Amino acid sequence: MDELGKVYQLIVPCFGHNMTFNLDAIAMTWIVFGVLIVFGFFATRNKSLLPGPVQVLGELFVSQLYGLTEDALDKEKAEKYAPLVCALFMFLLMSNWIGMIPHMHEPTKDLNTPLSLGLMGFVIAHYAGIKSKGFKAYVKEYFEPIFFMMPLNVIGELAKIVSISFRLFGNIMGGSIIILVVSYLTFSVLLPPFLNAFFVIFVGAIQAFVFTMLTVVYISVQVK
Amino acid sequence: MAIEGTDIVQAAAFLGAGLSMGLGAIGPGIGEGMAAAKACEAIGKNPKEAGLLTRTMLVGQAVSESTGIYSLVIALLLLFVV
Amino acid sequence: MAYDIQTWIKVAAFTGAGLAMGLGAIGAAVGEGYTAAQANAAISRNTKATGEIFKSMLVGQAIAESASIFALVIAMILLFSNFTATSYVTVAAVFAAGLAMGFGAVGSGVGSGFPAGAACTGMARQPAMGGRLTTNMLIGSAVCQTPSIFALVTAFILLFSDFSMRPVSPTWAALLGAGFASGLGAIGSGIGGGVVAQNSCEGIARQPSAVTPVTNIMLLGQAVTQTPAILGLLVSFILIFKSFEPTNSLAPSMALLASGLCIGIGAIGPGIGEGIASSGGVKWVARNEAHVGDITRLMLVGMAVAESTAIYSLVIALVLVFVV
Repeated sequence: MDELGKVYQLIVPCFGHNMTFNLDAIAMTWIVFGVLIVFGFFATRNKSLLPGPVQVLGELFVSQLYGLTEDALDKEKAEKYAPLVCALFMFLLMSNWIGMIPHMHEPTKDLNTPLSLGLMGFVIAHYAGIKSKGFKAYVKEYFEPIFFMMPLNVIGELAKIVSISFRLFGNIMGGSIIILVVSYLTFSVLLPPFLNAFFVIFVGAIQAFVFTMLTVVYISVQVK
Repeated sequence: MAIEGTDIVQAAAFLGAGLSMGLGAIGPGIGEGMAAAKACEAIGKNPKEAGLLTRTMLVGQAVSESTGIYSLVIALLLLFVV
Repeated sequence: MAYDIQTWIKVAAFTGAGLAMGLGAIGAAVGEGYTAAQANAAISRNTKATGEIFKSMLVGQAIAESASIFALVIAMILLFSNFTATSYVTVAAVFAAGLAMGFGAVGSGVGSGFPAGAACTGMARQPAMGGRLTTNMLIGSAVCQTPSIFALVTAFILLFSDFSMRPVSPTWAALLGAGFASGLGAIGSGIGGGVVAQNSCEGIARQPSAVTPVTNIMLLGQAVTQTPAILGLLVSFILIFKSFEPTNSLAPSMALLASGLCIGIGAIGPGIGEGIASSGGVKWVARNEAHVGDITRLMLVGMAVAESTAIYSLVIALVLVFVV
């Protein structure tokens, strides 16, 4: 139970302030990158018309996610953003599912990962909005429908970042703490696999999907 | 009545556990009840699909249960761990 | 009572954590159950669309879950952090954080369940609009979460600010009032926002050509429905950040606590009412696209009138803070 509070950190003093690196999250993120790169390598190695199993899996991901993106955006914009959507979904899915392996922690368990992904989605969406509508029209939208709604609109945009990041972080962290606590309390062999199945596989997949879909929807709201 | 410091902390922990599970049981009760009621209506309208409808109802109720599980875990944490 | 501060902080933290998670579980479970119910009815109506409906139900339930996840995060923080504090004010701050998040999660949880249910029903009616309905459900549910985000922000400010420079009384009442204001104020807006999104999904399923006006009116209506929650947040910030003079009598403390309760409870009704008003607007814009302008105007006027009692509560709350 003491593992609950432990965070391995590397503190680097830099110009008077301390930069802290959470080593758990960083190492796990690199492992997830490694897994994804290996998967991508094997999926595209011998591209044939009659695909092998790894290629089928890759094609399944890509086709489903391209379809999702096209639903939300129009065709040419979808082509531009679909690789981002694919990468985001696969990264989140793998990082939520890596918790199944013993002694591995999900990188999304640390608030930094979901928050940075949320900020990235926010910056991409608003940059796309400014580029497609022009700066004046973009700023004018904040003053719709009545001009003193401006602070409310700004707060609403910031609330979107907080909500998607905290939703992902809370689900994954909460799930892992619950598995830890229940396993500690019950000493059983039977219960933890079912908990893992529910919290890690099921909730992890759904939350990865919801995060990705919300990012696509926010991009589409800004761009249209 | 001289109450010890640790005693009152434990008292508060028990109070918190009771509140957590007590209030936390309200929502899943109502939600799962609504799901079951509509499932009955759905099977009444379309009895051929009973298996599919039952499965859907159970999955929906399981997801609705998860918040009750969170309350249960907080209550257990307050009772036995902290 | 001669216990040290750490004991009292633990007392407040445990009770607050219990309240936060207990209350936070109510809303999300009710919303998710409603979604499951509507999904079931939808599948029975149109069995061929089962896959799409099932997927929408799961996604909608996951979003409705998020408010109670915020409450779980606050409860975990309350249980496991050590609050080093030198003043009794932190006791009230910790308890108020639990209160704020607990109440704040109720409305958003229930509210986010409504659009998901309507999206499932809509998919049974109009399977071809599946993608558009999912998008609309996501936008509506996500905006509906905003009041619980306000409550989360208040809870974080209460937990992590340094209150040691403030006088114990009446700041304890101010912080408790801030928790009530932000938490209770989020209930009405959460439910109201959900009702708006529910009718927008139903309208799009009924009249797919009206997607754009319906979505615009939904966003407008949801934005205005958030106003009572923003009023609650405003009073809560005033109560947290204003410095009060130390006093030994009970009356000023009760005034501050009452101010928080006033705007908190007072925001429930107008939030729900504005949501119902806006949902009527969205519903009929879908059925009568030609008269969007008239319907929108009337909807905004009606919502402004429904806001009036929230304004009265705000006035009384501010009077209690500044004048009394």
